[in-house]
Amino acid sequence: MTDIRLEAISKHYGAFKAADNVDLAVAQGEFVTILGPSGSGKTTLLSLIAGLNQPSTGRILIGGRDVTGSSPQQRNVGLVFQSYALFPHMSVFDNVAFPLRVRKTPADALRRKVMAALELVQLHGLAGRRPAQLSGGQQQRVALARAFVFEPDILLLDEPLGALDRKLREELQVELKQLQRRLGVTTILVTHDQEEALSLSDRVMVLDRGQVQQIAAPQEAYLRPANRFVADFLGIANFVPLPGGREGVIRPERIRLAAAGGLPAQVVEAVYLGQIIRYHLTAEGRNFVAAAPFVGQPHAIGDTVSLTWVEADVWPVA
Amino acid sequence: MKRRTLLAGAAALRLVAVIRPASAQLREMRMVESGGKSGESIDVGYAAPFTAKTGIRLVRESPGNLGKLQAMIASGRITAASFELGSGTMVQARKLGLIEKLDWAAINPMPMFPEAKNEFGFGYQYFSTIMAWRKAAKAPQNWVDFFNTKDFPGKRAIPDYPAYAIAFALLSEGVPQDKLFPLDVDRGLKKLLSIRRDISVLWKAGAQAPQLLKDNEVQYAIAWSGRVVEEPDLAYSFNGGMADLSFICTVKGAPKAEQEAMNKLYYEMSVPENQAKAAGVIAYTGPSPALDPLLPKDKIGMFPTAKANKDVQWVQNAEWWAENGESANKKWEEFKLSL
Amino acid sequence: MAAILAERRHGFGFVTPLLVVMLAAFNLPILYMLALGFWSKQGGFTTEHYAALFDAPIYLRVLANTLRISVVATLVNVAIGYPLAYWMRGLSPRAQFIAVACVITPFWISILVRTYAWIVVLGNNGMVNRLLQWTGLTDAPVSFLYNELGVMIGMANVLLPFLVLPLFAAMLRIDDRLMQAAASMGAPPRTIFLKVFLPLTMPALASGALLVFILCLGFYVTPAILGGGKVPMISNLLDFLINQIPRWEQASAVSTILLVVTLLIFAAYRALDRKVGA
Repeated sequence: MTDIRLEAISKHYGAFKAADNVDLAVAQGEFVTILGPSGSGKTTLLSLIAGLNQPSTGRILIGGRDVTGSSPQQRNVGLVFQSYALFPHMSVFDNVAFPLRVRKTPADALRRKVMAALELVQLHGLAGRRPAQLSGGQQQRVALARAFVFEPDILLLDEPLGALDRKLREELQVELKQLQRRLGVTTILVTHDQEEALSLSDRVMVLDRGQVQQIAAPQEAYLRPANRFVADFLGIANFVPLPGGREGVIRPERIRLAAAGGLPAQVVEAVYLGQIIRYHLTAEGRNFVAAAPFVGQPHAIGDTVSLTWVEADVWPVA
Repeated sequence: MKRRTLLAGAAALRLVAVIRPASAQLREMRMVESGGKSGESIDVGYAAPFTAKTGIRLVRESPGNLGKLQAMIASGRITAASFELGSGTMVQARKLGLIEKLDWAAINPMPMFPEAKNEFGFGYQYFSTIMAWRKAAKAPQNWVDFFNTKDFPGKRAIPDYPAYAIAFALLSEGVPQDKLFPLDVDRGLKKLLSIRRDISVLWKAGAQAPQLLKDNEVQYAIAWSGRVVEEPDLAYSFNGGMADLSFICTVKGAPKAEQEAMNKLYYEMSVPENQAKAAGVIAYTGPSPALDPLLPKDKIGMFPTAKANKDVQWVQNAEWWAENGESANKKWEEFKLSL
Repeated sequence: MAAILAERRHGFGFVTPLLVVMLAAFNLPILYMLALGFWSKQGGFTTEHYAALFDAPIYLRVLANTLRISVVATLVNVAIGYPLAYWMRGLSPRAQFIAVACVITPFWISILVRTYAWIVVLGNNGMVNRLLQWTGLTDAPVSFLYNELGVMIGMANVLLPFLVLPLFAAMLRIDDRLMQAAASMGAPPRTIFLKVFLPLTMPALASGALLVFILCLGFYVTPAILGGGKVPMISNLLDFLINQIPRWEQASAVSTILLVVTLLIFAAYRALDRKVGA
C-alpha cells in the first residue's frame, strides 16, 4: 500500500536543469503518466524515483518513507525500460526469476510465482526460450513480468511500448491497463505519446524543459489545458480569439461544419481517418482543424463551409 | 605491351640466362656469418684486400645456423657461397653433406695452426670461453675457485649451451684438461646442480654475460672472451679456458666461379697482417702463429692465441660434440628443469 | 532462394583463387610438417620419431612445463586484464581513448626491446629496486628477474593487449541498463557482477584467454631472457632441433604433439562455448 511523493525535486547537470522544482503526489494504486517531448526530463524523473540517479535538491517519499539518497536495491521498485533490458544470457524463466532469487525465495514458491507471472502476460509456454528468440511484444511482456513478479511497491515504466508497432502497441496498452488494475500497484509511466498517456492513465503530468505544466486527469488536461504548450502537446488545438484580447482553445471534434450561420471557411485538405474525416480549413486568415464523422457526402477541397461551435467548449489559455 | 614484344623479351631473357655464367664476370658473392663486430672484422681484415685484388664484392648476411644451411641446400637455391659455422656445427654439416671439401693446394695459405686447417673449413677466428668477474668480487684463480661458491660468494651466469658449460664443471672436479673427452656429462651436470642456488642466469646471447656482470646481476660468469676483455669494470682469466674456432666453409654446390673466388678469400684470411687488422675490430684472433708480434703490445693479454693464453687453454673437441651433442642436450634440458 | 544460392556460388568463384592461395600458403607447410614426422631417413614411413619422444621423456617434460607456464601466465593475464578492462569501461570516452592507447603502445615496440627494458626496470640495479631500497621498504634487492616471476611479468606485458582489447570491446557493448535493471530488482553489486556482468563478458574472456594461452605456447624470447634461461619452453627446444642439430623429423614430431594438444584445448573450448551458448 504505497504512495509516491516528489517534493520540490530538482536535478541539475551544470547549468542545465533536467528537473526543475517538481512536485508530484501519486496515490496508492494510481496510474500516473509523465508526458513530455524528448528532452523534457521525464526519464530523468523516473530514474530519480527508481534511485538510479540522485536529485540535486528535494525529497522523494515512497510509502511515506524518505528514500532520497538510498540505492535502487532499497526501494523495491519494479522497472521496465524501453529497451526491456532483458538478460540475454538467461532464459525467460530465469529472467523473471531473477528478482526472486535475489530475495532468496524458496524454489517451489519461486517456480509458482514465475509461472503465475508468465501466465498473466500469456507467456507460460515460452519459459525456456532466450530473449533473442522472442518477438518485440513478447520481450516486452517478459520485462513486465520480471518487473512485477516480486510484488514491488511501485511500478515504473519507461516508454515500455515505444519500440513496438502501432497495432501491437494498442493491444498491449489495453493489457497493461488491465494488468495494472488487477495488481493494484502504484504505477508511473513515462511516454512522449499523448494517445498512450490519455488512454492509460488516471492522471497525466505534462512536463516541458524540466518544469511541470499541468497535472490533471486526461480529459481535464485535454479539454482544459493549463497553457498553450499543453494544448498543443495533447493533440490538435484550434486557437480562437476571445473577448478582451485573450485566446481560447477548442478541439477539432467540437467544431461542426454547417452550410451557413457560422464562420465562413474554405476546405484546404481533407484527411480520411476511417471513422472520422479531418478537415484542414482557413477562415479569416486563421487555420482550423475540424473532425467530423464520416457519414454522407464529404466536403471537397476548395468548398466553402460554415464553422460553428458552442462557446462553452472554448477553454481560455494564457 | 604487345604479345609479340613480350615473346621477344622472354626469348632475350632466356638467351641472357644461358650465356651469363660463361661470359659474365663474377661481381659479388654472399657469405652468411654471425654479424655484429665479428662481421665487421671480416670486412676490415679480409674482404677489403680480397675485393681490391679481384674486384669481387663480398656481401655479408647474418645470422646463420645449421637449419638455415640445410634449408638452403634442400631448396636447391644456393644463395650464398660461404657459411660461418662453429667447430661442432661444422662437423655436423660435413656429416650431412652440406659443405664442400676445401682444396688446400689451391688456397696455398700462409702458415696456420694445424687445427685451423680443416679438411672442410677454414678456422678463421679463435675465440675463448673463459671466466670473468666483477673487479669488486674476489678473484678466482681457476675453475675450482669458480665453482667454490662458499669462498667466492656471488651469483653466476653460465652459457645456455652444454658444449660451453659442462666441461668447466669437470675441470673444477679435478679432471685434467687433456682427459676431459670423452666428456662425463652426468658428472658435470651433477656438479653444476650442486651450485644451482648460485646460478642466476643461463645466457643465450654473448652480449648478456658482460651486461649481467656490469649490472651487478651476477658477480661471476663464464663468457666469450671477446665480450669481456675490453670491459674496464671486469676482470678475466684465460686459465683453463676453452679455445674454440669459428670456421668459414664453402657451401655444397656453390657455383664453380664462386668456389674459386672463395679460395682467394681463404688465402687473404691466412695473411697475418690481415688478421691483425681484424683483431683490431674484435679481440678474437686468426690462425697465424706469426700473429703475436703484429698485435698491440698493451693488449696482447686479451687475445685467445697470444702465446701466454694459448698455453693455459685447451681446445674444444668438436668431433665429440658432433657425435654426442643431441643426447647431451637432452640431459641439459633435464638439468634446466631441475634448476 | 535459388537466385541467392546461385549468387553465393558465383561469389564463391571469386574467392576461389584466394582460397587456393591460403590453402597452399598455410596448410601445405603444415601438412608437410606433419608428414615429415613420419618420414624415415632411409625414406618411407616410420614412427621412430614419435617413439623417441617417449623414450626421452625430456621432450614431454618440457612440453608439460610449457603448458604449466602458459596456464599460469594466462591466469595472471586474466587477473590483471579483466579488472583493467573493467576499469577502462567506467572511464570517460576521452580517458578511455588514452587508456586504449596505453594498452596498444607496447604493440609498436619490438618484443626484444620490451623484454630488455624490463631488465632496466626490474634488475638488481633497476628503477624499482632502487626505489624500494631508497624508501627503505627493502634493504637487499628483490629478485624480480631470472625466475618465473620475471617470465610472468614479461609475458603479461606482451600479451595483455590481446586479452584487454577484445574484453574491453565486449564490455563496452554491455548495456548499462542491464545492471540498472538488476539493481532495481534488488540485486547487490556483487550479485550484479557475478550473475549479469561476468556471464556476459565470459565469451570474450574465454576467447581472449585462449588466444593468450596459445600465444604463450609459442613464447621464446621472453622466457629465455627474463627467465634467465632456466625456464625451458618448447619453442627453445624446437629451435635447437630445427636450427642447431638439425633434426627436422624430431622437431616435426614435437610440433605435431604441440599442435594436437593445442587443438584439443581449442576443441574443449568450443564444446564449452557451445554448451554455454545453448
